[in-house]
Amino acid sequence: MNSFDVVVVGAGAVGTSVAYHLTKKGFEVALVERGDIASGTSSHCDAVALICDKKPGIDTQMGYASIQVFKELAKEFSYDFEFHQPGSLYVCETDQEYEVAADYVKQQQADGYAMRMVDPYEMQEMEPYLAKDLVGGIWTEPDSSMSPYKLCFAFVEEAKKLGLKVFDHHTVQGIKLNEKGSVEGVITDRGTIKTKRVVNCGGPWARELGKMVGLDIPIFPRKGTILISEKTARVCNQKVHEFGYMLSKFEDINFKRNVSELVEKHNVAFNIEPTKADNFLLGGNREYKGFDINTEIEVMRAIAERGIRFFPIISEINMIRAYSGVRPYCEGHLPIVSEVEEIPGYFIAAGHEGDGISLSGITGRMVAQIMAGEETDFDISKLNFSRFKGQTFADDMAE
Amino acid sequence: MAWESGVQFMIKKEVVVIGGGPSGMAAAIEAAKRGAEVLVIDANEKAGGQLFKQIHKFFGSSEHGAGVRGIDIGRDLLKEAEELGVEVWLNSVAIGLFAEKQIAVETGTDDAEKIVRVVEGEKIVIACGASENVVRFQGWTLPGIMGAGAAQTMINANRVLPGKKILMVGSGNVGLIVSYQLMQAGADVVALVEAAPNIGGYVVHASKIARAGVPIYTRHTVLEARGEGRVKEAVICEVDGKWQPVPGTEKVIEVDAIAIAAGLKPLAELAIMNGCKTKFDPILGGWAPLHDENMESSCSGIYVVGDVTGVEEANTALEEGRLAGVAIAAALGKITAEEAETEKKKIWDRLDGLRSGPHGEARMKAKDRQLADFRQLSAAEI
Repeated sequence: MNSFDVVVVGAGAVGTSVAYHLTKKGFEVALVERGDIASGTSSHCDAVALICDKKPGIDTQMGYASIQVFKELAKEFSYDFEFHQPGSLYVCETDQEYEVAADYVKQQQADGYAMRMVDPYEMQEMEPYLAKDLVGGIWTEPDSSMSPYKLCFAFVEEAKKLGLKVFDHHTVQGIKLNEKGSVEGVITDRGTIKTKRVVNCGGPWARELGKMVGLDIPIFPRKGTILISEKTARVCNQKVHEFGYMLSKFEDINFKRNVSELVEKHNVAFNIEPTKADNFLLGGNREYKGFDINTEIEVMRAIAERGIRFFPIISEINMIRAYSGVRPYCEGHLPIVSEVEEIPGYFIAAGHEGDGISLSGITGRMVAQIMAGEETDFDISKLNFSRFKGQTFADDMAE
Repeated sequence: MAWESGVQFMIKKEVVVIGGGPSGMAAAIEAAKRGAEVLVIDANEKAGGQLFKQIHKFFGSSEHGAGVRGIDIGRDLLKEAEELGVEVWLNSVAIGLFAEKQIAVETGTDDAEKIVRVVEGEKIVIACGASENVVRFQGWTLPGIMGAGAAQTMINANRVLPGKKILMVGSGNVGLIVSYQLMQAGADVVALVEAAPNIGGYVVHASKIARAGVPIYTRHTVLEARGEGRVKEAVICEVDGKWQPVPGTEKVIEVDAIAIAAGLKPLAELAIMNGCKTKFDPILGGWAPLHDENMESSCSGIYVVGDVTGVEEANTALEEGRLAGVAIAAALGKITAEEAETEKKKIWDRLDGLRSGPHGEARMKAKDRQLADFRQLSAAEI
């Protein structure tokens, strides 16, 4: 095995994007992956890039910038990753939710984002199968969708044309440091690759890759489950999801939804999205179950129950499959995108939780900027790993 | 589709058997006979599996019902199960096998009225059988092209003729027997093609259809099916030593149905979904779950019997089912270990008998390999 300018570890959406953007910048890059391309989280997720579910500020900024990256790449790449921009619809169940939503939209509009409130009448026009008792919603025009698998393959195939080398089925066993404590190489089960820079794009497995050099990276696997319907006539035209969940997701807002015991127990939030093949994906939930991705019947039932509440027609449609995956939850709900001060040459781009597809575009671009010593598109000091300095984290996460 | 109401939706049973074919019914009977509470889940409107389309008499020893027709064996099994109080859910499909041995079961024939129940079994027997392999050629999805097993179900169970002029692909016993039965049912089998140089099944079956005038083309394959809305013509041709079509040897045959008898593969999805260790063995039809001498898989309490664990035939399926039934009765404390051992030995002797002779030896070796692989697996885990 040769030596490379950079070794990127992990070939999910984030890792492949980082590898592409670095190669494009002129670096000689090796992409190392334990399994196949997109065999982990990026093939066990949904397919959207959204800004509507981001907090105002850097979260939304990154989401929007990422969509612009995808838009450009969709034109540039010969590999079609099915990018399209149908928009998305957040729906509110109660007046209380509607009020919070209206405030949120005002703030986002002030920041210049194309979001607006819609009334029940307009919602019915957009989504005729939506439950009739909802009080309103948020329409977000830039929100997009794509095939997550194809996105990863697109990044890899396009980067290969520029010289990227892919080492799939290579398991990283250690990171070699020199006497000064800087990165010197990446040890895999099939040989060592010499490099001065390594990027940890391990997603939920990033913690493991951190431990190899004594880093305590607070990224933990968080399980999510999605159901797939049979092929049907069009049930929904875009991503539709419940606003109430976003309220309960952000811990700073004290809010409780009026949901059944089962839905509450499994932390289920309704979301639906159409696929190109005329199925739809129905999600989802978030639970800490370690790396176990077996589907659970009770969770499936809770997701179906919540789906039928918003789209009653779902009770007449068969679900043909269910799958679970682990999302890389990061302490504080913001990803880590930075070099690690203590270990020169060790970079982290991980911890995007449910936004790995969404933010992969901009993450790759930013890592390339950081590594080239350029100024990043916007201030990302909040994403620095140093924010966890002096803290230690237990291995086990529990709700 | 509706869920049984309430959060408390779990039904518990000592033994749940998935699949009411010969292996599943045999397991259910042996366990119930010894006092276990047994539920059988079957996807069809009647249990008995493939036995009910086997209108022909079985070969073999008298101990294994030689001279008895499959349908009669099926009828006896169902009667015995009923007398023993085995509960049977018909029109019920196991749609998933989850942790804690929970099975999600969808029951009903009408989409709007289907219900889903979750059953937890202390012991689970996976006896789903096998599915037919397909052969892909241009036009293979045209209506009128089907598995030979499907054609057999149509004539023997549903009493519907799949076509008048039928091309059979494959000369294993299924291809040969179904050809003969199609003729009995009033169809004309216009040809039988076989890619191998020799006929795969028993000569006695092949002679029957050859005597009836069916042209048998060995070293031949189907190149293409033609027709609009339904298959009207089949193009067949010779293949060379490397199984490649020989240009210029094409023949066009007028047909209205093509039946494909290209072997079977284990329906092992539930076992795989549950994490049971599997191995690929071409003799057994592909990926099949490993098991021990009790038919228990690598997942404790989950048993695999019949074609699921390697495609064979009805008699071996029955015996494997019995083996699991006896082992389960012992595991549940219904009988002593000694009693079980005596019974299991008898069953193993009969299984060895069934897996002997020119047609059984390869299967015997394959099943031995399977057991050896399982032992290696357990040793590695210790």
